[in-house]
Amino acid sequence: MNTHNTHDQRLHSLDAVRGFALLLGVAFHAALSFMPGWPPGIWAMNDNSPSQFLSDAAFVTHIFRMSLFFFIAGYFGRLLYQKLGARVFWGNRVKRIAIPLVVGWAVLYPLISYVWVTGITKVFGGTMPPMPEMPKVPGAFPLTHLWFLYQLLLIYVAVLAVRAIVARLDRAQKLRNLIAKAVNVSIKSMIATFTLGLPVAAALMSLPLWFYWQGIPTPDQSLIPQIPASVGFGTAFIFGWLVHRSSDALAAITLRWFQNLVIAIVATGWMLHTMHATPMAAPGLTKTLYAMIFGVAVWAWVLGLTGAALRFLSSFSATRRYIADASYWIYLAHLPVVAAFQVWVGHWPLHWGVKYPFILVASFAVLFLSYHYLVRPTFIGKVLNGRKYPRKPEPTDHSPSPASPPPADTANGGPVALLRGITKRFGAVTALNTIDIEVRRGELLAVLGPNGAGKSTAISLWLGLTEPDAGSVTLLGGEPQELARRRGLGVMMQDVEMPKELKVRELVQLSASYYDDPMSVEEALRRAGVTHLADRQYGKLSGGQKRQAQFAVAICGRPKVLFLDEPTVGLDVKAREIMWISIRTLLADGCSIVLTTHYLEEAESLADRVAVIAKGRVIASGSVDDMRAMVARRQISCESTLTADEVRTWPGVVDVSRDTTKLNITVTDAEGVVRRLLASDALLARLEVRQAGLNEAFNELTREAA
Amino acid sequence: MNALAVKSGIHSTIKSTVNTVAALRGREFSAYLTETRYELVRMVRNPSIAIPVLVLPLALYALFAFVIGGEWIAKDPSAGIFLFAAFSLMSVTMPAMFGIGVSLATERDMGLLRLKRAQPAPPASWVVAKIMSGIVLAVVSYAPIAILAVSTGKLALAPGQVVAMSVALLIGTIPFTALGLMIGSLTTGSAAAGWANVVYLPGCYLSGMFFPLPKSMYWQAPIWPQFHVEQLMMHMAGVTKMQFEPVQMAIATMLGYTILFAGVTIWRLSKKD
Repeated sequence: MNTHNTHDQRLHSLDAVRGFALLLGVAFHAALSFMPGWPPGIWAMNDNSPSQFLSDAAFVTHIFRMSLFFFIAGYFGRLLYQKLGARVFWGNRVKRIAIPLVVGWAVLYPLISYVWVTGITKVFGGTMPPMPEMPKVPGAFPLTHLWFLYQLLLIYVAVLAVRAIVARLDRAQKLRNLIAKAVNVSIKSMIATFTLGLPVAAALMSLPLWFYWQGIPTPDQSLIPQIPASVGFGTAFIFGWLVHRSSDALAAITLRWFQNLVIAIVATGWMLHTMHATPMAAPGLTKTLYAMIFGVAVWAWVLGLTGAALRFLSSFSATRRYIADASYWIYLAHLPVVAAFQVWVGHWPLHWGVKYPFILVASFAVLFLSYHYLVRPTFIGKVLNGRKYPRKPEPTDHSPSPASPPPADTANGGPVALLRGITKRFGAVTALNTIDIEVRRGELLAVLGPNGAGKSTAISLWLGLTEPDAGSVTLLGGEPQELARRRGLGVMMQDVEMPKELKVRELVQLSASYYDDPMSVEEALRRAGVTHLADRQYGKLSGGQKRQAQFAVAICGRPKVLFLDEPTVGLDVKAREIMWISIRTLLADGCSIVLTTHYLEEAESLADRVAVIAKGRVIASGSVDDMRAMVARRQISCESTLTADEVRTWPGVVDVSRDTTKLNITVTDAEGVVRRLLASDALLARLEVRQAGLNEAFNELTREAA
Repeated sequence: MNALAVKSGIHSTIKSTVNTVAALRGREFSAYLTETRYELVRMVRNPSIAIPVLVLPLALYALFAFVIGGEWIAKDPSAGIFLFAAFSLMSVTMPAMFGIGVSLATERDMGLLRLKRAQPAPPASWVVAKIMSGIVLAVVSYAPIAILAVSTGKLALAPGQVVAMSVALLIGTIPFTALGLMIGSLTTGSAAAGWANVVYLPGCYLSGMFFPLPKSMYWQAPIWPQFHVEQLMMHMAGVTKMQFEPVQMAIATMLGYTILFAGVTIWRLSKKD
């Protein structure tokens, strides 16, 4: 169930990435009429307002968009192959890839030609110049932008052939498991970022005429596979395939999204800089370096963008789903539409900053409308995306968008702070395990538990410093990350040092400046009992005085909820009393307080309710009286012939256990049980009765929790 | 209830709403102001960080402009501009790197950042305060060098050019402030100064800031932010023989670096732990 969900989430993100790569292609082609310095005739239009910016932006997207597409195609390729088996896989690919290629070409090529002829005639002032013939070499064919489908089919054939050979040689899957592991490690260590581009870099270096701007030369002129494209996109496809094979690779990509994007940006920046100096270099150091960095940039972008999508776009979104579905059609159909708009606006006396957005908006409008009305509900949609959507979707089509929950009732007695079903892990350690805690208005909740039990983690969640892995956190009826909620809280944390150069008065004043309706500085100082320290620098205070100053800082904003994490550690008796009095005053004013402490008498003296956390679970919660009852338990041990099961049924017995010789009985009514023990077993020996402390009660509960 | 009462009721509601909004925005503004004020107070009360940063560039400039490079400047006035650019750049960037970066890292160690994030401090107030105090420190550090250079005639520029160069310098502090923040956000208090040196010093030499580079090393100069700030200054001063890239490129690269460093900082500081 769980894995199924994560699996779906991943597919959502990867679908989004593929859609993004395709739509980026539309934006890329839409920019090509604005390229400065392109000779007329290379593209359908040469706009009268060229743009260096668009040239650079187009270059940047062109670095990675097709590699990204082929990487995702590799991932989905293996997914599909595993799911369908070889025969059905090929049937599916013929329908989705080969038919669109053939039919698409037949429909689109005349349209594209028509737009090109119109545009170029316009560029040359009304007369069509003689067009260069297709080169007379074997295999020459104008694939147009549909080349990527052809390339994809070639790669399917090659990869499945290799796969068949590997499967035959590596029957025990040793090699393949090793590769899967290597894939995982290489992504995590970022070796992949720096090495996956090496093959394509080598292919590019060997090109005699390599314009930096073009990146991997587009193989749209020939049916014979071109080396750089086959190497570059083949690597991308194979790596995507292997990522699907390796179970942890996507997690590793997610982990490294940011580092990869940073590398991508740095590498791209360097390339832009170099390209501006020399658009095409003779063989030599610069060209080699450029090709290498190009390879790094390709993979840093591919892994970075995929990782970012996995990290941020894993939830289902109806809009993204729609766009991802539409993207295939849009990319197939876009070229004549985009070019037609380019030709139309090419001579308008307007800045490219107006015309380019116009082309984009107009093209997308036409393309999305055509998708919505001509493709999505018809057989074309079924061929392209594998399903046909009825015009009116059934009400249960997808899970509804989560409605914003109604604000919790904080007016009277409702919870002001709430942890519901919270799980929080740090690596392999589960700090909190599906816990529920609530803090009601005007009460003091003491959170007790041994060190490392998860108390501070619970408070961090309420403070918005940490996000849970599961469950929901509510503070004053909203999310703790919202500034408006946090304006209602005061906090005193453990292990915090304030700026030592500032005086206590200044620290309080600074904190008070964050709140809407703070106390006067004098009042906060008085309540915390530090008026006499007001003009001392924080760095010169003793440990206990520092805690008092922090208390003044915590209360100065008249908080509705106050979080005190071990507030009285290091205080002398008098200072502690002052703090207790102040805490009681705050409670009387209606402030709610969450207090963690090691001092049981502190909890006993101040708390309305107590929650005990151990090993990440709330193992007991209730009023102080409930806790006292727990303390009132006593522990009896003796050597006896009675069995544990027998004794367990007696009134006043809470728990019984037996080790080799002894019977250990936890009781609420020690006298009654002892009397009965002596009566039932004449041979009873070594009788002991001990008071069970709160600590013992905790220990017992902790053991039960384990 | 008559119409007049309704009208005045509405009127007073609007008025009180406006007042509340103004008070809230004023509150936020005052938080920024208080934060910045106390950041400066701290700097004044603890001058041990600020003094080396203030004195070193001035001392080095005096040494090079008067003792070592005196004759060179007399022969070629643009050498004077070159030296001035180098040490004034050092004077404004060191506070950004060492003042801001190190104090940020130290305060992260202290847990102060966690506290600020838990408190309802406006999200940027703390960083803004650091940047503002960094700029103040930069101005305090730059002024003596500028006065020394202009008053002794070691800077052969028109007053307008000196002002333009100063503005370029001030802009140049921005990417370094971001760099300082980035280092502070990534390292610990004890390591920050070391890392700042590792990142900052090579750039001072390899960018051609301290001495002109041989041609074979030109390719790597654009890597260093120092190079682009210098370029902007050379454009402002109109020293054509030391202009190696167009002014737009210099500005764009500085902007790019700022976005990159600030992005890393924001990402790191907002990372939930």
